[in-house]
Amino acid sequence: MSSKKSTQTTQEIAKQASGTLYQKIVHFLFGSWESTQLTFSFLLVILMAVFPFFTKSPYWLGIVVLSAVYAYIGISWNIVSGLTGQLLIAHIIFIALGGYTTIVLLNTYSVSPWIGLLVGGVVAALAGVVIAFITLRYGLKMDYFALFTIALLVALRTLFLKWDYVGGAVGMWVRLKNPSFIKMVFNDKAPYLYIALLLLVIGIIIQYLIYRSKTGKFFIAIREDEDAAAALGVNTPWYKTLSVVIGAAMAGIGGGFYMMYVTFIDPTGVFNLGMNVEIVMAGPIIGGLGSLLGPILGALVNKPIAELVRGYLSEGTSGISLIVYGSFLVTSIMFMPRGLAGLLHNLYQKLSKPVSER
Amino acid sequence: MTPEIFFQTIVNGLFTGGIYALVSIGLTMIYGVMVIVNFAHGEFLMLGIYTAFWAFTLFGMDPYLTAPLAMVLIGGLGALMQRGLVHRVLDAHPLNMIVLLVGVSTLMIGLAQFFFSAEPRSIHVSYETAVLSALGLRFSIPRLVAFVSSMFLAGSLYLFLQYTRVGKAIRAVSQSREAAQLMGINVNAMYMLTFAIGTGVTAVAGTLLAPNYRMIPTMGSAYSVIAFVIVVLGTMGNFVGAFVGGLIIGVVETFAGFYLGGDVKIIASMFIFILILLFKPSGLFGRKRT
Repeated sequence: MSSKKSTQTTQEIAKQASGTLYQKIVHFLFGSWESTQLTFSFLLVILMAVFPFFTKSPYWLGIVVLSAVYAYIGISWNIVSGLTGQLLIAHIIFIALGGYTTIVLLNTYSVSPWIGLLVGGVVAALAGVVIAFITLRYGLKMDYFALFTIALLVALRTLFLKWDYVGGAVGMWVRLKNPSFIKMVFNDKAPYLYIALLLLVIGIIIQYLIYRSKTGKFFIAIREDEDAAAALGVNTPWYKTLSVVIGAAMAGIGGGFYMMYVTFIDPTGVFNLGMNVEIVMAGPIIGGLGSLLGPILGALVNKPIAELVRGYLSEGTSGISLIVYGSFLVTSIMFMPRGLAGLLHNLYQKLSKPVSER
Repeated sequence: MTPEIFFQTIVNGLFTGGIYALVSIGLTMIYGVMVIVNFAHGEFLMLGIYTAFWAFTLFGMDPYLTAPLAMVLIGGLGALMQRGLVHRVLDAHPLNMIVLLVGVSTLMIGLAQFFFSAEPRSIHVSYETAVLSALGLRFSIPRLVAFVSSMFLAGSLYLFLQYTRVGKAIRAVSQSREAAQLMGINVNAMYMLTFAIGTGVTAVAGTLLAPNYRMIPTMGSAYSVIAFVIVVLGTMGNFVGAFVGGLIIGVVETFAGFYLGGDVKIIASMFIFILILLFKPSGLFGRKRT
């Protein structure tokens, strides 16, 4: 229901209560832009969930699984950069840490990935705490923060390349023998899809709850004007740290699952700025950074288009997906800085006028 | 480490640093005038080295002779990018600018991989392994030429900025956009020119690297990262700082390579970078903390 309920007049409430069931449902689903975004998010999730009933092609299922994972990871970045406006460019660090934690626990200590994912989230969150602490303690703002995260990415890549415990330059594999639920190894792609969608649903709900809460309002206040927010009594260091930690923890869990799905991780592949654009940035940017629907919509547009273009245009030529993601970023910043969700928002505002007059 | 190896390492470091200095000067000029960190900077170096490659492969042009060509072509591309893309996002949220430039960089790498292929390529010239021995030290001829040329270019750019009317106009814009505009300086033209010079000298650095270098489309990002380090070390926007910082990082990296091995030498620069960011973010030449 709309958050503005308390401000509505009793007349309106009475009118609502006396409305038909149909009107009530419409109001519940599309009563405000937030609930509309939530409705569309879940519609997209349902669309992905029924996908395996229409095709068994591993190629198409694979694209849908990756879209779902990218959407979930996009949400985690959206909370840090979209809602709070922090220039955490190399967000893929957290994905890498989550992925590495999960695979090390699985291969070296035979810990089930179901636990490994969560531990990966904790490790990534701790890294988030460290990064946020350093940033705040030394006042790295704007470009400096962005450069700091990129330097960290390069440093970690070099470190992991030399660190034999995590496989060094060779990387680490998931052993695919004896598929089982406990080991999160399946012959079919459908189970992967449902795990990814479970993560995505949790991500959508977390993002929505944050957005609706006081914390979310503080995040947005920090994005719009940090000094003004601080002057009005928002504890900006605490909320900035909180947003980084939430985003990092979510990305760590997502990274663990991503690694289980692609079954391979190596430092040059994962501590990689091109990959960062593909996994983290492209979805939320094209979908609309800072909106609830953006990351999901963006990921569903991004990954399939990139795959289609790659499939049709290039037989053995590389660079196509980079061209697609790069031009997505550029065109979206130039022509629709609020992304696809921004366009939908305009449409919603036009359509919602007559509805409120009913 | 014997004195001989010590001095040899310093010489090698300075040779590397000369190229770094040129790349960083381009980055720092753009930052100084427009307060933009050009995240696509290394890709201009990549385009420069491929200009040399194609001029050599198609027309048999010597890589060093392609330097002016790369300066004009790639610098022109930089100016177009400023006019068509960067300029329109100048007043938006800083995240938009970063995303735009990251997008441009991704796009450029992709296009280079598509058209030039992702396979490593190299140019073989007659003098690629020539060595000059003097004072008990060995100077690789291509790297010596690259060092001297980059010093020359950096020096003339400095004189240009200090003593010509246009150079003074650029410096005026970097001090205050509004005041410069009130004095009748065409600020937008200066922005374009700065981007052209900044990306142009970076492309020249690429051509100077060309002989005996295995080029790949993704090579730019390593130079971007190094240039970020240098520019922060030498104070963002400071021309002399970028020059000195480039030489320092070149020497530090070569020593790190000697002691730690070539593939982890970047750790040393990253370590310096993080220390600088944490303890003196205004850099070596900064007066106050930013």
